[in-house]
Amino acid sequence: MQAAASAPGADPAHGRPATSKISFQGLVLGFAVALLLFLVGYPLLWLILGALGVPQSLGFEHLQRAFARPQNYAALINTLQLALGTGVMSVLIGVPLAWATSRTNMPLRYLVHALVALSYIMPPYLTALAYIFLLGPEAGHFNRLLQGLFGFESGPLNIFTMPGVIFVIGIHVFAFTYFLTYSALKSVDASLEESAQVLGAKRWQTTLRINLPLVAPAITGGALLSAIDSLALFGPQAIIGTPAQIVFLPTRIYATIGSYPPRWAEASALSLVLVLLTVAGLALQRGYLERRSYITVSGKGVRTQLLDLGPARWLLLAFCMTVVFFSAIAPVGTLTINAFSKSWTDPLSFSNLTLEHFRSALFEDQVAVRGIINSFKLATSAAAIAVLIGAAVAYLDLRTNVRGRRLLDYLAILPLGLPGTVMAVGILLAFIRLPIPIYGTIWILLAAYVARFIPLATRSANATFRQIDPSLEEAGRITGASWFHAIRRILMPLSRPGLLVAFLLVFIPAFGELSATILLYTGGTETIAIAIYRLNDLGQLEVVSALAVFTIVVVLTLAALVNWLSGSSWSSSETPAVRG
Amino acid sequence: MHAAPDDGALKAFASSAQEEMAMRIGRRSVLKGLAAAGTAPFISHHAFGQAAAGPSEAGQIDIEKAKAEGKVVLYTSLDTKIVDAINAAFTKKYGIEVQYFRGGSSDVTGKVLAEADAGRSQADMVDASDVAGLMLMKERGLLKPFKTPATGTIAKELRDPDGTWIADRLTQAVIQYNTKELGSAPPKTWSDLAKLDGRLVYFSSPSGDGAPRLYTLASNLSWDLLKQLAATKPLRVQTPQIITQVLERGERAAGFLQNDNIAWRSKAQGKPTDYLFPAEGVPTEVGACGLLKNAARPHAAALYYEWWMGPEGQAILVDGGKYSSRTDVDPPKGSVPLSKIKLLAPNHVEYKKDKPKILDRLAATFGGEWGN
Repeated sequence: MQAAASAPGADPAHGRPATSKISFQGLVLGFAVALLLFLVGYPLLWLILGALGVPQSLGFEHLQRAFARPQNYAALINTLQLALGTGVMSVLIGVPLAWATSRTNMPLRYLVHALVALSYIMPPYLTALAYIFLLGPEAGHFNRLLQGLFGFESGPLNIFTMPGVIFVIGIHVFAFTYFLTYSALKSVDASLEESAQVLGAKRWQTTLRINLPLVAPAITGGALLSAIDSLALFGPQAIIGTPAQIVFLPTRIYATIGSYPPRWAEASALSLVLVLLTVAGLALQRGYLERRSYITVSGKGVRTQLLDLGPARWLLLAFCMTVVFFSAIAPVGTLTINAFSKSWTDPLSFSNLTLEHFRSALFEDQVAVRGIINSFKLATSAAAIAVLIGAAVAYLDLRTNVRGRRLLDYLAILPLGLPGTVMAVGILLAFIRLPIPIYGTIWILLAAYVARFIPLATRSANATFRQIDPSLEEAGRITGASWFHAIRRILMPLSRPGLLVAFLLVFIPAFGELSATILLYTGGTETIAIAIYRLNDLGQLEVVSALAVFTIVVVLTLAALVNWLSGSSWSSSETPAVRG
Repeated sequence: MHAAPDDGALKAFASSAQEEMAMRIGRRSVLKGLAAAGTAPFISHHAFGQAAAGPSEAGQIDIEKAKAEGKVVLYTSLDTKIVDAINAAFTKKYGIEVQYFRGGSSDVTGKVLAEADAGRSQADMVDASDVAGLMLMKERGLLKPFKTPATGTIAKELRDPDGTWIADRLTQAVIQYNTKELGSAPPKTWSDLAKLDGRLVYFSSPSGDGAPRLYTLASNLSWDLLKQLAATKPLRVQTPQIITQVLERGERAAGFLQNDNIAWRSKAQGKPTDYLFPAEGVPTEVGACGLLKNAARPHAAALYYEWWMGPEGQAILVDGGKYSSRTDVDPPKGSVPLSKIKLLAPNHVEYKKDKPKILDRLAATFGGEWGN
């Protein structure tokens, strides 16, 4: 990557801006690249070294020992079951919902669509917390309801089981299958369906024999993404899995480091297993998506036809509303009610209302207050740095022909496939020692957040720059502007809305990050997710609910802003490019 | 800790000046085990050769310097409600803020060790309900020997002879139960619990915070008892605080190895719970604290340590329902004096030595994650 710093080569033949030898440009880009290597490449290297026993020793005995332990096998098998379960579940509920909202005249389609988005945006550990209130074996609201209705002696449903974990994670990750299937169905050309109907096919035949095969790759890809994401979700795995006595790879990794003395080599070895699972899944998913070469699906500007379901549309709506009720309405609702209730086990009534828990969470509890401040600081800084690096990587990729820029692009996308727990182990091993011993400070959390979420910034910056014609900057350079000037006065103003979206796309997950933070925080660097996790451990459930509601409000507000900006950024950045 | 009496330890104990103390704590069996812990040899004496920064005894504390240091950082496994109360009084008296990290004992010990590995200790003082953890810190040369007047009020079995750690509290692991569920026929013994199929709750974090007391129970009574308890398919929760909530809500009928102070508070608050010390014996868990050798704020840390271990700090601890390790501090209001209870002593040396094996055995018995 040295080449990037010293010779960001110009190639006028390719219509890219010409630059002078070692320049300001080289310095800025080189710095961003060095930061990327340092934050992503270096920890990954340590993950491998750690599994080999470095620095205490060097060899394969730690790896062998890690694989010889039955606890680790149990964790692996549970993790695979979880992935399989959530993958299947995501198809069972994601596909019918996507079909209903994209191809039918079912009422309230937009509401269902928005609520699926909400179930995805909500941090999954909050959904898990909510389900302790909803489906706790005895006191959970749903269980009490069922007891009241049908006279069960004890609560019939128990969330603290493997199906419980699969359910709680499934209602979060099914959004992958839903969105992929939704956009695929949206782009199936109606003329195909019409042809089928002309040839005498019934409606349901059209759906099953035309639509379904066309979108099958999207469904499979979505199911794989759901399964891969479920592997990485430490929060719900810990919050539901621990009382259920079910261990998954991320919780197992956490325990090998959390108990003393920490067993670094075993944690690294288990992390590598998790990486292998993820990489295998992603490779499979890529394979499926690449087979999706049907022109009908990728074609632009297709006409879609909404299927008139007649009275059956109400039945379908009932199904869709049931799904989003469990995935979004009930969890958000129960956390909100708890946050305002004196005691969550008492029924909701005027005398049971209070703002006390918000006062506690936002002003009094030492850890909670510190957590909120730290989360804002960290998310803001991480987002700013990630956008800077992401923009530099995107610029190198699109505007220069520097050698190795493809590799750089891969490195910047790589963390997308790495579970937070794994990133944290790598970062811990890398930054606990010289030359950069930042473990035990807030900087290690910043490093982790930038490393984890840099793909979001890079993709977003890439998409933004793509929409801006390079000839605009060239025009600036030809008329005598310096590189820096051209960037500052031409590229930046044009891409500002897009980069703001990139900033928010990093800010939102960083604000509620749990799985890496839990391994890296220390006294004084607690975040909001840590406050929630720790206070939940201490059973202060009402304060936890208040913090959860606060988090959801912040995240939802920013997500709405992204939605609004993405709408406006398309027009504002596209128009000048077209004009240019 | 084995069932067979150890005469040597008993004699050593009887001849000590702490006999009166023993009457208060009550059971020789406790001290026998603790004696082994206190006098066990440690490897890292080299670490104590060099002079530690700041005061090495209470008399050397400079209050002005402590105030200039501005704050003190505590890592603790004590209930936040008690920590907050102790800190508020300390800050009021000296104007020094206390910042703390609160986690389970394993979290606390793990963080101290990991930060030491990074050469970046954050804590000035550490407190954990796991003496084995403090012994490991001492072995790694992380703790500072400190002479405190509290020494005179604490049995010698409850402190490190080198002064690197000292017990601050004794937590008894009791049976807590819901009085609506079991009020008419409450359990009397540990084995009574084995009949409550599907109605029990206990705690341990994934890093094994509940392991020391389970080990104490098993090694003093029998591993078979643990098997019987495990056969009832007890609900496992993360912390003692959650045991009490599960019981208060009536989700489960009884909890085993619950912290006595939490059971005490629940009852005092008028919740439908009660607790008892089974006649077969009750595991005692010793909480202990020590000063970090590389504390960034040595004077403030020592001042806080003296406050924590002194009569005022300990009185606040007792207000929170904990038994003080000091002989001159009364037990919590309305609670049974320890002399009336058969206590089962933890064997910290054995636990520290055999920890991986013990955790494996607990995992085999109860299933789930124990950090092994």
